[in-house]
Amino acid sequence: MSIREVAVADEAGLLGRIYRSIFRVRPVPQTELERSQAVASNFFFHIHSAKVYEETLKFKKTLGLGLFSLFTFVVLVITGILLMFYYVPAPEQAYQRMLDLRGVVSFGTFLRNMHRWGAHAMVGLVILHMMRVYLTGAHKAPRELNWVIGVVLLLLTLFLSFTGYLLPWDQLAYWAIMVGTSIASYAPVVGDQIRFFLLGDDDVGREALLRFYVLHVVVLPAVLSALIGLHFWRIRKDGGLARPSTDE
Amino acid sequence: MSDHDSKAAPKGRREFLTLLSGSALTVAGLATAGASLVYLRPRVTYGPPSRLSVGKPELYGSGSQVALPEAKMVIRRQGNKVAAISTVCTHLGCTVNPSETGFDCPCHGSTYDERGEVTGGPAPKALAWYRCTLAPNGEIVVDKHQVVAADTFLEIQS
Repeated sequence: MSIREVAVADEAGLLGRIYRSIFRVRPVPQTELERSQAVASNFFFHIHSAKVYEETLKFKKTLGLGLFSLFTFVVLVITGILLMFYYVPAPEQAYQRMLDLRGVVSFGTFLRNMHRWGAHAMVGLVILHMMRVYLTGAHKAPRELNWVIGVVLLLLTLFLSFTGYLLPWDQLAYWAIMVGTSIASYAPVVGDQIRFFLLGDDDVGREALLRFYVLHVVVLPAVLSALIGLHFWRIRKDGGLARPSTDE
Repeated sequence: MSDHDSKAAPKGRREFLTLLSGSALTVAGLATAGASLVYLRPRVTYGPPSRLSVGKPELYGSGSQVALPEAKMVIRRQGNKVAAISTVCTHLGCTVNPSETGFDCPCHGSTYDERGEVTGGPAPKALAWYRCTLAPNGEIVVDKHQVVAADTFLEIQS
């Protein structure tokens, strides 16, 4: 604590000290150093760099597509967790549970539609984000690794869409996964093994539904979250958002 | 003993231990990855059996072809001969429908003749004919893991 922070803490009574122990209110930052500390020492702000280039803050530079992708992912996690309270990944129940979510669960239609449209939006936003990065040359050195991580994030987004597509367990879902996993079986030599591994059986059935469910709600989101963290960290380590080299 | 020797010995030991622990971790990691793959590859499946009985030959009239949608095959009987033909499209796994000319796939328009040979569309190969045997109780048993040549029929006495 700086001398000025100690002074503020001493002035407060017991309630003030309790409040301050929770919220860590500091004096209004006066210097450059204090301003950067104010950002870095706050859990909710510390994802921001302490300093950014003013030019890269302009909306037209990024169109906010990366953050919009993150926000749709957050929406999908929250709505997805809520849907999990009513969904059962078993062939006897899955379709009826999906209908019940639309018919009898309070706000069920709203949550399901939010999850579905959010998923479509996320795929679109991630692809638009990729186009923005490419068109502004942000994939070039020193940001090559972050481009590769971004491509993996796009693939994970597509796998999440694919695995989620089976869960309603209707005709559309069944045949889409039948066709999708048959495409995997066209891989040379190990194709049929890959399909068997994905489906857990020779055909789309009970095992496939369970496998896709586990991938959809645990495995893929966990990997995606970890890589999103790495992706954001690399932005800062690579020198912030891309900008014309004349600014440097 | 010179300074050089006393410094070189610990460094050599450290490099050796680094190499040893590094290789041990690599081996453990590969073994874990391999074991996970083995674990995730099911040794028992819960879907429909690949070897199934389709009932006695009397169920199928001579010259008839009966579709079994659950088993994804048709049973064809010609006189005293019976055969089982897959209705799983060889393109991407959709179920083909029997038609005037043989079989048509609703998904991407593959067509097959009555023997299951491809006559059009994206299908890469002919429909599979499965091995049929007669069980001791007189029922026809079809093994979907045993694909036989087209026109391989099971002879039955009647």
